[in-house]
Amino acid sequence: MSSFGGPRGGGGGNFGGGGGGRGGARPGAGGPGGRGAKQEGKRYFFRRRKVCRFCADKIDYIDYKDVKVLISFVPERGKLLPRRMFGTCAEHQRKLTLAIKRARAIALLPFASE
Amino acid sequence: MSERTYEILFIAEPELGEPELDALVATVQGFVEKEGGTVQRVEKWGKKRLAYVVKKQREGNYVLMVAEGGAAMVKEVERRMRVSDGVLRFITVRVDEDLAKAERKKAQRAVEEAKRKARTGGRPAPAEPQEEVEL
Repeated sequence: MSSFGGPRGGGGGNFGGGGGGRGGARPGAGGPGGRGAKQEGKRYFFRRRKVCRFCADKIDYIDYKDVKVLISFVPERGKLLPRRMFGTCAEHQRKLTLAIKRARAIALLPFASE
Repeated sequence: MSERTYEILFIAEPELGEPELDALVATVQGFVEKEGGTVQRVEKWGKKRLAYVVKKQREGNYVLMVAEGGAAMVKEVERRMRVSDGVLRFITVRVDEDLAKAERKKAQRAVEEAKRKARTGGRPAPAEPQEEVEL
């Protein structure tokens, strides 16, 4: 488990920002987090593999009219976020961004909320 | 002319009463039909808060119209909506291709599902390893 040496330990830090995103959190999975850190004094990040929510729910058409779904992929600020935040697959991310942009055009979603 | 399916979603003035709104919907429907299109269904979403101010309004009456017709129809309907009072904002989205694609995918998935079931002899597929620890 802790076989990665020094150089890789730093690499984990780069991706740290992505770990904060939502992954359809199932409780009980966060158990082993931080164990390695105590022993080695290095920062290891244990991330659950994020699965694209649209793939999991078998949604093929992301509707721009469906604000309930879209809003969960838009932070309060109203910005589009990169794929690594939500773990959406490339195909669904493309459809998602298009849907969000359409929703913005018709005032269902904000361009930027103050 | 090839027929395509479009969703015309527009926001009407919030002050319109029920009869005026119906009149506006009928007018827009008239635009579509005049250009040789057909309206398949109309959905009135009612008054909703806008995500941002449009023409000094904070809310609006959303109306969704699903119409069939050609590109020329869309062009003319959009032009007319632009000049008609009572329409704050509109968007026209062609949906037939994307919906057809989604439908095909669904069918494909059903086929694969059936295949897998046949292979495993009706038993549920083995559970995928879920807790994968990275780094």
